[in-house]
Amino acid sequence: MNKQFQLILAVVVAVTTLFTVPAFASQTVKVGMSGRYFPFTFSQRDVLQGFEVDVWNEIAERADYKVEFVTSSFSGLFGMLEAGHIDTISNQVTITPARLEKYVFSVPYVVDGAQIVVKKGRTDIQSVDDLKGKKVGVNLGSNFEQILRALDTENEINIVTYDSGFEQDVVLGRTDAFVMDRVSTGQLIKKSGLPLQQAGAPFQKIENAMPFLNTAPQTAIRDKVNETLLSMRNDGKLAEISVKWFNTDITK
Amino acid sequence: MQISLDVQYIAELLPILFKYLGVTMEMALWGFFFALILAVVLAVVKVFKVPLVHHAASLFISFFRGTPLLVQLFLLYYGLPHYIPALAGMDAFTAAVIGLSLHFAAYMAESIRAAILGIDKSQMEACLSIGMTRLQAMYRIILPQASRVATPSLMNYFIDMIKSTSLAFTLGVAEIMAKAQMEAASSFKFFESFLAVALIYWAVVVFFTRIQHIIETRLNKAY
Repeated sequence: MNKQFQLILAVVVAVTTLFTVPAFASQTVKVGMSGRYFPFTFSQRDVLQGFEVDVWNEIAERADYKVEFVTSSFSGLFGMLEAGHIDTISNQVTITPARLEKYVFSVPYVVDGAQIVVKKGRTDIQSVDDLKGKKVGVNLGSNFEQILRALDTENEINIVTYDSGFEQDVVLGRTDAFVMDRVSTGQLIKKSGLPLQQAGAPFQKIENAMPFLNTAPQTAIRDKVNETLLSMRNDGKLAEISVKWFNTDITK
Repeated sequence: MQISLDVQYIAELLPILFKYLGVTMEMALWGFFFALILAVVLAVVKVFKVPLVHHAASLFISFFRGTPLLVQLFLLYYGLPHYIPALAGMDAFTAAVIGLSLHFAAYMAESIRAAILGIDKSQMEACLSIGMTRLQAMYRIILPQASRVATPSLMNYFIDMIKSTSLAFTLGVAEIMAKAQMEAASSFKFFESFLAVALIYWAVVVFFTRIQHIIETRLNKAY
């Protein structure tokens, strides 16, 4: 592309943008995400991207929202939702009974399971039972902590919460295993090249959705998001975004 | 385990992080500006033992020195909006600046108060004898001298504040620490990312330490 053509293109884009701005500004939806959860939401060379970002850009386009991404550490996101700093969280938030008491959720957009990951070559851990007496890392504020504690009725698993970097500790041998969702463990092992492996089959099917505060204006956004997600599911757009990031459809 | 340091990655990351240094410095400068104003007021109130108000000032200083900055930031950003809905509109940057100001004002007030008390009492008496009010004496005579004494410790607080802005990532402010974490989460190069961010903080602090020397030399010229 030569310089002149680039300039003309820039002018054309600028002018069309000016003329296509609708008479009524569309509503801004603030979407919270960690930006630290590859490949759902992550920043590479300063560009926020990933599955969640694509899903929301599509929702915004179809529902005529303006979407504003707000990044914060995962443990801070619920505080921001509660305090009204953001409208929803798009960070693979799992629907749990405790969360259902507090929030209204969108329809699930990802279906997944909990997965144990250990250092490569380790064979003694194959199931939750094998975790007894072991040190197991989970993300602070994530629901894998509750899942593990619920299964660990005798309180025999040493569960350690991390803000980030538990995969490093498993590699270094400080922690025996970590538990997070199957989809991202596969991605993490592939992308990081760290000597890690999935141990055993995933347990506990989980459904991930976007939580909203249970108030009239927020529920209205939720309804609109639901409608949009369903249309994206029906015309295959949701599956398409999933395949782009995961090579497989994780949305059902 | 294989140990390797990806220098190339650090070289690529540094310019990205530099773009967010502005946010960090803006937070530190605004924070220091408001903290300084508040600290002078608190210090003068305490020195003059203004009835009732100085008790409030002591309570303020006690609380903000007695609790961690991180806890104060969480209270301000996640806690208070539940009771004061208007605060929900406050963005994370503003909350961080307010938090830093209140926290550091408490510390700075004490060192300013110490500096004021270090100025010989006879100076105040001399001012009063020629008809100045106590406030005039404070503003015209005492504070200018106290500022020279207080500068080294205030600059230390400023440097501390620059580093403390890194806590703002917990509120979701996109400053250099948050960016380093996010880049690390997608590249899995944790050591490189945090080393890069450490180098930037260090360079900034070295720069301001130089400034501190220059300011101190100038203030000491008359002595």
